[in-house]
Amino acid sequence: MPGRDYLGEFEHIILLALLRLEDRAYGVTVRQEIELRTHREVSIGAVYATLDRLETKGYVKSHRGDPTPERGGRSKRFFRVTAMGMEAVNHTQRALLNMTEGLGLIRSYP
Amino acid sequence: MMSEPYSVEPPRIATWLVGLFTLGQEAESILGDLLEEFSYLASKSGTAFARRWYWRQALKTIAHLIPTAFSVAPWSTTAGVVGGFFARGLLARLPGRAIFAVIERYQVYQYHFKTYMFFASTGIDIGILITFLCVGCIVALVAKGTEMAAAMVLSLIFGAMAVVGSLYNVARTGNLESLWWLTWYFADSLAIVIGAAIVRTRRSNATTLPLNPS
Repeated sequence: MPGRDYLGEFEHIILLALLRLEDRAYGVTVRQEIELRTHREVSIGAVYATLDRLETKGYVKSHRGDPTPERGGRSKRFFRVTAMGMEAVNHTQRALLNMTEGLGLIRSYP
Repeated sequence: MMSEPYSVEPPRIATWLVGLFTLGQEAESILGDLLEEFSYLASKSGTAFARRWYWRQALKTIAHLIPTAFSVAPWSTTAGVVGGFFARGLLARLPGRAIFAVIERYQVYQYHFKTYMFFASTGIDIGILITFLCVGCIVALVAKGTEMAAAMVLSLIFGAMAVVGSLYNVARTGNLESLWWLTWYFADSLAIVIGAAIVRTRRSNATTLPLNPS
């Protein structure tokens, strides 16, 4: 059922990155945000493959910016989370919180 | 504070490869993002570091784009792979038949034995290589938009079949020399990818508008 699906781990991370970046979310910033916060190297291809999948599901929307010289005259593709995407994030987040409640996982691995 | 755009070019081959595998308008976003980060890294950490980063990103991106093609255009990509597989079956014997027909017609073996030997061995191998090139073109024509992904999958299938067949042959006969044939088989697989790349490049050139120099 649309909007009630559980997100995959990387889909979840990407949507959280989009929410953090707000209107500055495009390939480079999304990739860097994920690397900065998860400390794992992510390829731009993986980011776009996931964003395209999320757009197909209706969880994100994209629009093109203006071409810029530092990008060789190529435009940026900006992304934002839709209401359905927001619902999917909350749904997955709630499920994770319910599953981890009382386990003290963070305290176990300082 | 605005900084001058860094003028070092990213590796051209890596850029070309990403362009080959990228679907439609995705190329503009991905190549723009790669160039933006490359320029930043080159000014901050040096050109050599930025080039290594660019190559790593390009190869990882291609590895992600190949399976993506099957979810974006599953029917045409699969049809390209299956069509190429059967096209290879139909076309594979043609070079040998054509060469031997010419040899028979002009009785080459009677007057030019060395020429006969060349055409009967290496000539057939070259003919098969050209056949695989044509198969790559057929795959690309069927799998429009996902040409390279379909061609890569088909070439990997043929490559894997060649390795398994060769190892089975060695295990059965004990003749290690037959492993040298793998170079020809791998060349055949590469020819599929090259054939698809030719069609893909021609399509891209036909659809790309010339940049305004002003």
